[in-house]
Amino acid sequence: MKKGDKIVIIIVLSLLVVSSLFVLIYRNANKGKALKAKVIKNQEVIEEFDLDSIKEPMEWLIHDEEWHYNRVRIENGRIRFSEANCPDLVCVNTGWLSKPGDIAVCMPHNILIKIEGEKENLDELSY
Amino acid sequence: MNKTKKMVFLSLLVGIAVIIHIIEGQIPVLFPGIKLGLANIISLFTLLILGWKETLIVVILRTIISSMYGGSLSTFLFSITGGLLSNIVMILLYKYFKDAIGISSISICGAIFHNIGQLFVAAIYIQDFKIYIYLPVLLVSAVVTGFFVGVAVNFLHNHFKAQNWLKN
Repeated sequence: MKKGDKIVIIIVLSLLVVSSLFVLIYRNANKGKALKAKVIKNQEVIEEFDLDSIKEPMEWLIHDEEWHYNRVRIENGRIRFSEANCPDLVCVNTGWLSKPGDIAVCMPHNILIKIEGEKENLDELSY
Repeated sequence: MNKTKKMVFLSLLVGIAVIIHIIEGQIPVLFPGIKLGLANIISLFTLLILGWKETLIVVILRTIISSMYGGSLSTFLFSITGGLLSNIVMILLYKYFKDAIGISSISICGAIFHNIGQLFVAAIYIQDFKIYIYLPVLLVSAVVTGFFVGVAVNFLHNHFKAQNWLKN
């Protein structure tokens, strides 16, 4: 091992620690907030789901004129792409999204799902 | 090395890189977005044997050709940004710190910058920089795969230096 290798190791380790800390802080800050999933196609939000208020599992098919489709499965507290006909299937392999900040992207079809933590809406709770 | 020989050798390297790139796309991985980065073996090897201009040629041709075989414009933008960034970092490291750091370290740095570049494109594409919460996972994978790529390049380079058909 050469001298510069140690410097590289130190830099990489510190980068790892700093980025993990940021992720931990972000996860903690969003704990307990209501989960809201946004489905975005071509940079536009086409559907929003309140994941906590979903009782029955449901499926939803998104398709366009060119025979591209993505099937989305939504359950209580989680959401995923369950099926698609894109070439790389990265969106399906991402699996379940259940925490704020989780993102599943289908680059070929330009669709993504992301989860955002929303503050509890008091008006809705107290009617 | 004369011009024709160099051209043939370079096209062989591009061909090998394209094949590795396509095959590694089929290998299932733990986490989407993680790749083994095996095509980086060829880039780094080219850097050691031929030089920085040829490395850039190999990486650009590799991404263009393998995108033609299976991919779209978005995946092409994805790979070319990551590939170029990682190769520029490796070229600079090799040029200025060749004597101070080993091949594996150069390869690890290349893999890390590959991931940073890809996350940057993804962040612009989805207009949300929160995608950087995946950085820690990708950093760990970059260190592991980068190390093994470095070991592989070391073997390849040592074996290659033992034969001197390239010199004439």
